[in-house]
Amino acid sequence: MIKKSFLVFFMAAFVPFVCKAQKFATKKGNIKFEASVPSFEEVAAENKTVSAIFNADNGEMAVLALMKGFRFKVALMEEHFNESYAETAKYPKAVFKGSLENFHLADVTEKPKQFKITGELTLHGKAKKITDTAMVSKSGNTIIITGDFMVKPADFDIEVPSVVSKKVADEVQVAYSFSLDK
Amino acid sequence: MKKRRILIISGILMLVLVAAYYFYFGFLYKDARNIESEQPAYTITAETLVKDYETDRVKANSKYLNKTIVVLGNVNESDSTTLALTGGVSCSFDKALAAKTGEKIKVKGRCIGFDELFGEVKLDQCTINQ
Repeated sequence: MIKKSFLVFFMAAFVPFVCKAQKFATKKGNIKFEASVPSFEEVAAENKTVSAIFNADNGEMAVLALMKGFRFKVALMEEHFNESYAETAKYPKAVFKGSLENFHLADVTEKPKQFKITGELTLHGKAKKITDTAMVSKSGNTIIITGDFMVKPADFDIEVPSVVSKKVADEVQVAYSFSLDK
Repeated sequence: MKKRRILIISGILMLVLVAAYYFYFGFLYKDARNIESEQPAYTITAETLVKDYETDRVKANSKYLNKTIVVLGNVNESDSTTLALTGGVSCSFDKALAAKTGEKIKVKGRCIGFDELFGEVKLDQCTINQ
């Protein structure tokens, strides 16, 4: 009997906290990547339809980018990216699951603050650990998370044929920007 | 005799130029797809599209991915560049749009896949079909 009432007390005390989890989300996140080589044509693409969910209680973050949503300026480049390199029909999405270390919402202001971000990026059927820094700021009920990092196509088993390998950089710069609403 | 030779050479030259032109603009720098003017591969309701994705993602991808489709549904929520249809279809527009919540509409766009985070099918380069 005591146990039962304790349980009720326990639930009454903690359930409101669980329900109040501060989740922020967006469906219009932005990811750009660039693998240009100087004096050759720009190799860059942008995806403006990236989904992201951020839990401000523990700093956990999940990002999902549909590969077909990456758009290039040159149609043939987009075709090659989809068909030959990233094989987007077979691997339609890129997923990042990770967290911002020591994140406390109270520390975040309108001025961007640096946080360490770690997690796993999965694309083209391969996963890779990413450790980098992200800038976080707040504007009203919106949390803005931005940053950039470098990846190698080889890390994800993406082969760039030798014919064009001179025109595509070995390291790809990925920049992201999410405005997450409560 | 000389005249004929000039004619042949200039003829060949013309052919080479035309071939180069088509290689350049028809292949290397061909125009990107214009989803708005493309004939849709499928015309379906938002519910059917989402159900197809929930039943079998791989099969649905091979059927809809990268295809131009027309989706019928009711506007659940919208802002200046995106709108969501009831049932779980998220549509992104390149141009600003105006849609009323609850309104029944037809959206034409390119299917880019299923978003597991929100449980929605996503379309991009959308336009509202009258």
